[in-house]
Amino acid sequence: MADQEERKLNPEESLRLIRETIDLAKNRVRENGFQFLLWGWLVVIASLTNYWLVTLGFAYGKANLVWMVMPVIGVPASLIYERFKGRRYRDNNIVSKWYGLVWLGFAVALGLSLVLAVRMNVSPIPLILILAGFSTYLSGILLRFNALIAGGIVLWIGAAACIYLPWEIHVLVQAGAIVLGYLVPGYLMNAQVRKAHA
Amino acid sequence: MPKELDPLLLSQLRLAIMSFLMVTREAGFNELKEHAGATSGNLSVQIGKLQEAGYLEVEKTFRDNYPHTICKLTPKGVEAFENFYKDLKTYFNPGE
Repeated sequence: MADQEERKLNPEESLRLIRETIDLAKNRVRENGFQFLLWGWLVVIASLTNYWLVTLGFAYGKANLVWMVMPVIGVPASLIYERFKGRRYRDNNIVSKWYGLVWLGFAVALGLSLVLAVRMNVSPIPLILILAGFSTYLSGILLRFNALIAGGIVLWIGAAACIYLPWEIHVLVQAGAIVLGYLVPGYLMNAQVRKAHA
Repeated sequence: MPKELDPLLLSQLRLAIMSFLMVTREAGFNELKEHAGATSGNLSVQIGKLQEAGYLEVEKTFRDNYPHTICKLTPKGVEAFENFYKDLKTYFNPGE
């Protein structure tokens, strides 16, 4: 490729090349939709199971055990997926790093909020939705994907709705908000990546 | 009057290397080669020019008993790239 050495770019071509490289980085994060969707579905299934167990007459303490089961399924599934996926650019991409840091921040804030909610005897769900909304919103900005930004806003609306609704309904609000504000943008993102590869 | 663009970055391969390193922070020689679609010889020459200008540093290590070359942007390289991008934008929007 001797001619590439000599190939001088004009300003338009230079700008295009830079933008294409940045898009490549973003697409690599978008391609990692499995983790995003896995945790979304786990939360929806756990929320609905929790609600169902309560309607069956189980005590809240017992019905809440589904939240313990969720990471027992989710963590190994995530680890097995990462182990076998064998991503070549795993930690190199700066967008991946920022994205990972946003969700790491979410995990820490979530842990603190859950402890706080239990200690203060308030419903943790509005707090979870506020934090998930913020992380989804930031992810949307980082990946320049408007459906995720809108998804973050949907999650915040879900959090606000909880103010006016009884505790026992909060899990249903959570399930609905996660489907609309998190899973739908996640699937749209996947569809866009597939289209880009087609 | 737009500023003159850094001639070192107006080359397709050198700009491909620099912009890839801007998003990956560091990259192996083969990774860069695959991304830029360049031959080893040509890539080495262009990396050498960028290294000479102080835009990137090259670290030679071993991975699984094989030589492994890692390229990283230096602070000067990051600054040069950012200035280049800024100058490009000014080129298209002189009023900004």
